[in-house]
Amino acid sequence: MAALCRLTVQASKAIFFPQSSRNVSLSAVSRLKEIREKKEGNTLIISGEFVKPKDEHLQIKNNTTACPLCATGLDVKHTDVLILSQFLRSDGCMLPRRITNLCKVQQKRVSVMVAMAQKAGLMPNLNPPSSKKDPKRRYGYKKYNTYFDEATIQWKL
Amino acid sequence: MSIIQRSQQWGTFARIWHLYDAKWQDPYLSAERIKMYLMGLYKPIYHPLNDCGDHVVVINSYDIALRGDEWRRRAYFHHTGYHGGASWTMAWEVHKKNPTMIMNKAVYKSMKGNLQRRYSMQRLHIFKDENVPENIMQNISNQIKQLRPVPLRLDEIPPQEVAEFPKLVKYPENYIAQ
Repeated sequence: MAALCRLTVQASKAIFFPQSSRNVSLSAVSRLKEIREKKEGNTLIISGEFVKPKDEHLQIKNNTTACPLCATGLDVKHTDVLILSQFLRSDGCMLPRRITNLCKVQQKRVSVMVAMAQKAGLMPNLNPPSSKKDPKRRYGYKKYNTYFDEATIQWKL
Repeated sequence: MSIIQRSQQWGTFARIWHLYDAKWQDPYLSAERIKMYLMGLYKPIYHPLNDCGDHVVVINSYDIALRGDEWRRRAYFHHTGYHGGASWTMAWEVHKKNPTMIMNKAVYKSMKGNLQRRYSMQRLHIFKDENVPENIMQNISNQIKQLRPVPLRLDEIPPQEVAEFPKLVKYPENYIAQ
C-alpha cells in the first residue's frame, strides 16, 4: 500500500514538475557524474560533471614520484587488513596496477600479502559470495589458525 | 629475620603460577618462552640441581597458529612397536584429535632429555579453551606476554573505523568501484 502511495506521488510529481523527476534510470546508476543546471539570462546550460568522492579528505597526499605505498614508507604486514583491503574489490580480487598506481614490486608484494591474509581468514567479508564467511567452518586443515612470515615473500623492497 | 627478608625468602622459593594465552601463537616459538618459566631458568638462583621451576597454565591451545603450510606439512611420527606399525600423522589431524597435544609435544621437545624433563612437564597445564578449573585459576599471579599480537579480523573492526581509515588508493575519476 505504501509503495503504491509512493508511486502515485512520484507519478503526479513527474507530471506537474517534470524537471525534478530523476528517479527512473534505464542503465546502472554509478553516481560518478551529476547533472547540473545553470541559467544565464535566457540560456539554460545543462552539464554532466564529475562528483567529488566523499572520502577525499582521507586521501594521503603524495607529492613525490614514488608509488603511494613507497611514499608512506610503511612496513606493511599481512595482518594490516585496513591497508590491504583498500587494494581489493568487494569479492577479494586484487585491483590492477592501472587503478592502484603501485610500483611493480609493491603490487606483487601486496597481492601476496592479500593471499596470506585471505588464507589466515582475516578478511572473510571480502570474498566471493560462495565462500564460507566464517574461517572456522572451512574444510580440513584450513579451519585452523595460520600465520605467515613476510620474509618469505619473493619480491623484496 | 625481618618481615622484608622473610617475604623475600618466601618470594624466592615459592612456586609461581604463570598464565599463557596461546591464541594465535606459534607453539614451537612459545615453547622456548614457556620452558624458561617451567625450568626456572629466569631466576637468579637457578641451578640444574635446584628444583626451582614454576607452573605454567596455557589456555586457548585450540587457537594456536602454525606458520605457512605447516598444518599439512608437519608430520608427527608414532610407532606401535610391531612390524609395519609406523604412522605419520599431519599436524592438523593431531590437532583435530587432541587440541592440547601439539602444544604439549612442542614444550616437551624444547627441553633437554634429562631426568628433570618429566617433572617439569608435570608443572605444565594445558587447556584447549578458557575454561580453567577454579582451583587452578586462583593460584595464578603472573601472565606471560604473547609473542605476537592477536591479528584483527576486518569484519570485526567497527565499520566507522574502516570508513575513516586514511586512504592510499585514489581511483581514477571515471572508475566504478565494484
